[in-house]
Amino acid sequence: MAHKPLLDCVFVPIASVEDARATARAVTPYLRDRDATVVVGHVIEKAGGAPDKASVEQRERLAEEIFEVVDDEFANEDISHECHVRYGTDVADTIIDAADEFDADAIVFTPRGGSRWLRLLTGDVSLSLVTQSDRPVVVLPDVEEADTDG
Amino acid sequence: MADQQQELARDLGFLEAYTIGLGTMIGAGIFVLPSIAADAAGPASMISFLIGGVVSLLAALSLSELATGMPKAGGSYYYVNRALGGFFGSIVGWGMWGGLMFASAFYMLGFGQYLTYFVPMGATGVAIAALGMAALLVAVNYYGVKETGALQNVIVIALVGLIIVFVAFGVLNVDMSTLRPFNPEGWGAVAATAGTVYVTFIGFEVIATSAEEIKNPSRNLPLSMIAAVVTPTLLYVLVMFVSTGTLSIDLLADSSIPVADVAEEFLGSVGALAMVVGAVLATVSSANASILSAARVNFAMGRDNILTNWLNEVHNRFRTPYRAILATGVFILALIASPVPIGTLAEVASFSYLVTYSLVHVSVMVMRRADPEDYDPAFQIPDVLYPVVPAVGFVASLAILAQMNTVVTLVGITIVGVGVVWYLGYARNQDIKEGLVGEAIAPEPTPATTNGGGDGYRVVVPLANPKTERDLLRFAAASAHAHEDGDAELVAVNVIEVPRQTSLEQDVAFEEERVSRQQELLDQARDIAAELDVGLRTRAIVSHDAGDAILDVVEDEDADHVVLGWRGSRTTREHVLGSTLDPVVERSSCEASLINLASETEPDRVGDVVALVGEGPNAPVTVRRAAEFAAIEDDATLALLNIQAPDADADADASPEERGRDLIERVAAEVSLDVDYDTEVVVGDDVEATALEAVDAYDTVCVGATREGAVSQTLFGSLPETLGERASGTVVMAQGASTSPQSIREAIIERLSR
Repeated sequence: MAHKPLLDCVFVPIASVEDARATARAVTPYLRDRDATVVVGHVIEKAGGAPDKASVEQRERLAEEIFEVVDDEFANEDISHECHVRYGTDVADTIIDAADEFDADAIVFTPRGGSRWLRLLTGDVSLSLVTQSDRPVVVLPDVEEADTDG
Repeated sequence: MADQQQELARDLGFLEAYTIGLGTMIGAGIFVLPSIAADAAGPASMISFLIGGVVSLLAALSLSELATGMPKAGGSYYYVNRALGGFFGSIVGWGMWGGLMFASAFYMLGFGQYLTYFVPMGATGVAIAALGMAALLVAVNYYGVKETGALQNVIVIALVGLIIVFVAFGVLNVDMSTLRPFNPEGWGAVAATAGTVYVTFIGFEVIATSAEEIKNPSRNLPLSMIAAVVTPTLLYVLVMFVSTGTLSIDLLADSSIPVADVAEEFLGSVGALAMVVGAVLATVSSANASILSAARVNFAMGRDNILTNWLNEVHNRFRTPYRAILATGVFILALIASPVPIGTLAEVASFSYLVTYSLVHVSVMVMRRADPEDYDPAFQIPDVLYPVVPAVGFVASLAILAQMNTVVTLVGITIVGVGVVWYLGYARNQDIKEGLVGEAIAPEPTPATTNGGGDGYRVVVPLANPKTERDLLRFAAASAHAHEDGDAELVAVNVIEVPRQTSLEQDVAFEEERVSRQQELLDQARDIAAELDVGLRTRAIVSHDAGDAILDVVEDEDADHVVLGWRGSRTTREHVLGSTLDPVVERSSCEASLINLASETEPDRVGDVVALVGEGPNAPVTVRRAAEFAAIEDDATLALLNIQAPDADADADASPEERGRDLIERVAAEVSLDVDYDTEVVVGDDVEATALEAVDAYDTVCVGATREGAVSQTLFGSLPETLGERASGTVVMAQGASTSPQSIREAIIERLSR
């Protein structure tokens, strides 16, 4: 009986260098040796008319750094993947659109934590993804944090 | 895909760019300055605002041309650094940073002053309110609290609306007799006041710093910049007209909330309250934009190695340049807390920006004259206005600077001094770009001189692998021996590369093993040099980036030739030859040879040497190299080889063989080759395959580097690379001295010698 695939083609949004390492390690056990297509994305948030917090060029460099970390992590595991930058005023919407563009089976990420106040001020992308996505969202625990906690 | 992304990154249309400019322009200036300006120059201070507007308009035109030609983060700093080099780049970078700090402190004190409308408080209270708001703004930008374009638009529309209402009602109420005497202090005071109020005009720069984000920049950028200068200029002049026509100069000069006091006269307390709200919005929005602009300047300076990139770390969670924002914030708080009067803060900011814009005008002219290949501005100052605009703009900026008072001039010059000292003490020793002034002065573009140093011929040899050390030194020594006329010598370099995150000193302590290996390697190099009978100095270096370190040595030693080992394969998608080799090959100004040894395990035999001779610019240097290497061994031979495509049409003047022979003779004559050599011409369709087959008989192959862009090389590969990868013998890729931008000194010498 054929199952509708969940992890054959996944979209993995990554927010920062630290996140890149954590996420790559978290998803590896699920994607290793599966011949899955992994699309890694980083969203550069635009203010859409107000001045951005940092210049686009500066954040494009950050995206490069993030992708390098992902390349390194996945190279050890031989997971084939591609990396893309997307721009948008709303990070969650942009991620959902990108997942749609690559026709991903699911959006896979590790939550970035943070206090309630910070989330209120800086926007809670995790919550928006879970509540707004029109395709499955897989939230993986941060392996390292779980290790140190346990 | 790339184009599409480019488009997506550009999300500012004319209106957005215009409102960003207005949001910064209609700032504290017009709400705070009327009292200071009226005090200094009476009703004639409206002329000061007009002068400021005209000077800004000139700067806007020059900036538009530069910004569309170089849409990079950093604005004026970037353009000046590119055109005039690191010295002026450092001055403008620090000037803009300092100017934005002083301006922000000025805005915040203005904010505090307007709060006195609600809570009567003295200077200390004002300063405390200013400190609180400044700290809040720093926090907002540190934590990346989301601001939207919609909010920005509401603020700007509200401000413009308020000022228009103020002007419309005020004009009806102006009493012509209070406008007399119109110019009590004389025109000198008017000009000096133009300097004071210039701070209200620095905001349009924000549009240039956002050039990379503007849609259809050739139209929208100049248009929004001009509009963002003209609108506030008109409004300012009218506000001054109304203010000086409503209140007497004495009343106005004593007011700390001038615009509200004036509005009170004809709009009552509702009008005054509205103006206070406007002032609060304006000061906050201006200071906010200034703090973000400062971070962009820091980023651009870090990108050019003029400032440490440590400042430009992007926060892991908030994705903001938090260190740059904090650093700027600390200075702003210090300035607010300092006893510097509010007027002086404004004037120092004006001073810094006038210095910046005067250099911007010079940069436009330099860029036009030097006309580098990658500079193709979508907007150009119209022919009828060039070079009038930059010339007048430059003179006018200096004229206003000359009118400013002594204290301000001293503080302003101190900021310039910081830039100079920073350049001399720090930036100069980093890897920074040469400006284009030399190119602009030079009579016409000239290929760079071949021999860098006037004294002995110097060959730099970066060494990393003890196994290949001897062979590399042997080739280098051959090149040195060929230039025995001076005191030829070798400089052996080894670089210990440490990760960027660690400081250099810190890492070395843990790396004793690597350090001792470095010593061994260099000791061995000395022994080999003694055997080869060639002078050798060694340099042991610890650096974050081996490529940069080697480039530094090449420059420092004024080297004539750099000999590098090369694995002969492409490494990754980003680097053509390797992360260390790429920068050296691309940026070193001297001749370079990349040597792919046939074998790492046994000593190389030079044996039969062949040089591939083509039409390329590196053909002469290739032949010279081949001749030098063939001289190493007594029984070595030298052959020059040319590959021709078979004739397409029969009635060509000469057969392919003849054409090949001609070319070889020509190149041999060009380098005045005085040793015996064989000539070989091979005809074949596929250059690569033919070359591979033809060189198989030789032990050492010399080939000229293809000087195409890195991109086309990665996409299509190149002949030298293919040879390096597949040929069985030793492959040497030779590159001539490059045509890097001429230094100013060289250009002047050249010009004078004509």
